[in-house]
Amino acid sequence: MNRPALVFRGVSAGYKARPVLQGVDFSIAEGEFVSVIGPNGSGKSTMLKTATGLIRPSKGSVELFGRDVFSLKPRERASLIGVVPQKLESPMAFTVAEIVMIGRSSRGGWGGPDSSDYDSAERAMIYTNVFDLKDRLFNELSAGEQQRAALAMALAQEPRIIMLDESIAHLDINHSQEVLRILMNINREQKITVLLVSHDLNLAAQIADRLMLMERGRLVSNGSPGEVMREELLSRVYDCELRVRKDPYSGNPVVTGALDMALRRSPVQKRLHVISGGGSGIELFRRLLIEGFDVTAGVLNRLDSDAEAARALDIPCVLEQPFSPVGPEAVEEARRMVGEADGVIVGVVPFGSGNLVNLELAAEALKAGKPVWIAAGIDARDYTVDRAAAATALRLRTAGAHEWSGIHELMARLKPEAPMQQDKA
Amino acid sequence: MSLPSDSKATRPDGDGCRPFPVKVSPNRNRALLFVVSVPLLLCVSLLLGPSGIGLPDMATSSGQAIFSLRLGRFFMGMMVGAALSTSGTVFQAILRNPLAEPYVLGVSGGAGLGAALSILVGGGLLGAVGLPLTAFFFAVLTLMAVYGIANQGGIPSVYSLILSGVIVSAICSSVIMFLVSTADIEGMHTVVWWMLGNLQPGSWAEQFVSLVIITSAIVALWVLAPALNLLTLGREMAHYQGVNAGFVTMSSLLLATLLAATAVSMGGMIGFVGLIVPHVMRALFGPDHRWLVPASAIGGGTFLVLCDSLARSVMPPIEIPVGVVTALAGGPFFLIVLRRKMKYAWTD
Repeated sequence: MNRPALVFRGVSAGYKARPVLQGVDFSIAEGEFVSVIGPNGSGKSTMLKTATGLIRPSKGSVELFGRDVFSLKPRERASLIGVVPQKLESPMAFTVAEIVMIGRSSRGGWGGPDSSDYDSAERAMIYTNVFDLKDRLFNELSAGEQQRAALAMALAQEPRIIMLDESIAHLDINHSQEVLRILMNINREQKITVLLVSHDLNLAAQIADRLMLMERGRLVSNGSPGEVMREELLSRVYDCELRVRKDPYSGNPVVTGALDMALRRSPVQKRLHVISGGGSGIELFRRLLIEGFDVTAGVLNRLDSDAEAARALDIPCVLEQPFSPVGPEAVEEARRMVGEADGVIVGVVPFGSGNLVNLELAAEALKAGKPVWIAAGIDARDYTVDRAAAATALRLRTAGAHEWSGIHELMARLKPEAPMQQDKA
Repeated sequence: MSLPSDSKATRPDGDGCRPFPVKVSPNRNRALLFVVSVPLLLCVSLLLGPSGIGLPDMATSSGQAIFSLRLGRFFMGMMVGAALSTSGTVFQAILRNPLAEPYVLGVSGGAGLGAALSILVGGGLLGAVGLPLTAFFFAVLTLMAVYGIANQGGIPSVYSLILSGVIVSAICSSVIMFLVSTADIEGMHTVVWWMLGNLQPGSWAEQFVSLVIITSAIVALWVLAPALNLLTLGREMAHYQGVNAGFVTMSSLLLATLLAATAVSMGGMIGFVGLIVPHVMRALFGPDHRWLVPASAIGGGTFLVLCDSLARSVMPPIEIPVGVVTALAGGPFFLIVLRRKMKYAWTD
């Protein structure tokens, strides 16, 4: 572990009438990328202000690279910490180059910059991709460009730690991604410690080595994104129902609200069994639940993204071991589920020898007089040796199974005419 | 003085694109224009007066008297103008408000009340220092009151600050009116004439004290210029950039108030100098206070000397109070700034 950059020891701090931080303890090592998260009013910004010496703690101490923040001279402090504010506002007409040069003012004397100051400012501007904007007026830049210029100003200070106060979340996604990329480069290449205060949990989890979760002035969780982004913890801290799942590409935890529950229509007392896999069922599950159906699913392999989605949505589901063909026990259980369902939907799922048996279950359901919907284009997804899936699908179609090609269309056909009765009649 | 009005995104600098390293110093042509025109204008002002245009006949004693009168007015104008204009520059930077200046903020009104009290009641107590000291004391009280009224938590808005300045200013002038109405004829005349704003030189002692105060305050503010640049980005940003923000804010506000109070005690209520000149200087030299503070001082002095020459020579033998001239020029200017906030000097 590198030596500590920022250490809070039992810090309580706040404003005259309102104490905010209560006994906050943590240590950030040099070179770390740490993000502070928490709901509004949890003390994130107060923590940053305390770390920069703007607010004096009523209890405890704040150490910056081994020295008490309040024992530092203002200029020494500015050579250690660079801060990018939520929004840098310059009422006067400074150009971008002048704004960045202001970042050198803690280094230079009264008389103004020398060549090393210009070099440093130039490097900072190139690094943050604002060099081409150097003669533009700061106020006339877009929000993203302004934030990059503010970052250049902080970089020109040549600090050892950069702190950002909600500086990114309000930007458009292209701009926020660019600023984040710059931050990661700064952290990796220049070994500058980064402390990012953010109310955007996903953004924080995407980029930080470590998350610190604040709740009402206390540090309630401090660890890797996987350790902090836990459903029950976040739901409690944010006081609302939240879901955490893994991003299928990066594996980062991603938190979303549970608005589906509010979106759901009144239940229609119909159960549909969905045959899917490989991610083809996720949207189907969600839409069917919203429309008020009860949903079951299977057979799916464990760890399949559909299996994850079914778990997250509390959908009863028959599971088989990962990467294994569907075995007789699972088939038996799925057969029971299909027996209890009022209809079967086959999603846009590829078929191979391992999961072909699912299609046989659909055939059984059709034989039992239950409506079956099959996604169009099964020929292209048939990986069985003798094209058995396509053949089965054709057999089903001639026996009265419906074909569907878009989820919206499928929902329209499922819902308004109460199709189950129609089909039974 | 014309203001740039086209709306290119870069500040017009003649040569368009500056190569990096960026010279934070202003454009050379403009600096030259300023350096050449200021002495020229000052010389012209010495040729103007109610006795006619041109140098008076130095051979006669009356000619010498006229010239020494003009010279006295000239130094008064330079001092008062420099003080008011520098004060305006600093108020605008610290309060981050393009409309801030001692007159609009009510600081002049407060200083006026203090000065009137000193003239009518104090009767030369404490000698030459008494008048500026009382004026300063009341000006500080007024500034605290104005800021307190405007401050509803956080930094007061441009408009609430101006509004409370106007209110406090009105209260001060009512109290002055009351004092004047209860004073004897001589006192009444002194105060009314002084309130209209005029640059009749006081005693040598008074002038000397004022000169010392004004020069040292302007030099002190010039030393603080890099910190003033940072404070225009807000107090927190200044702190992050290694400025002792509380100390610089407090001391520069006090120095600006001291300048305004000294100017008021010397020349009475002269409005808008602290508004017009800083804006024009910013348009000429850019927003860097290392240039802006001295430029405002020199520009402010020149502007007031010119206004005074105009006031003395347009309707001879009647002399218009110089405060009337600056207000006639400054009022419309205030409205323009209010509407546009000045493309190159200030942006939103």
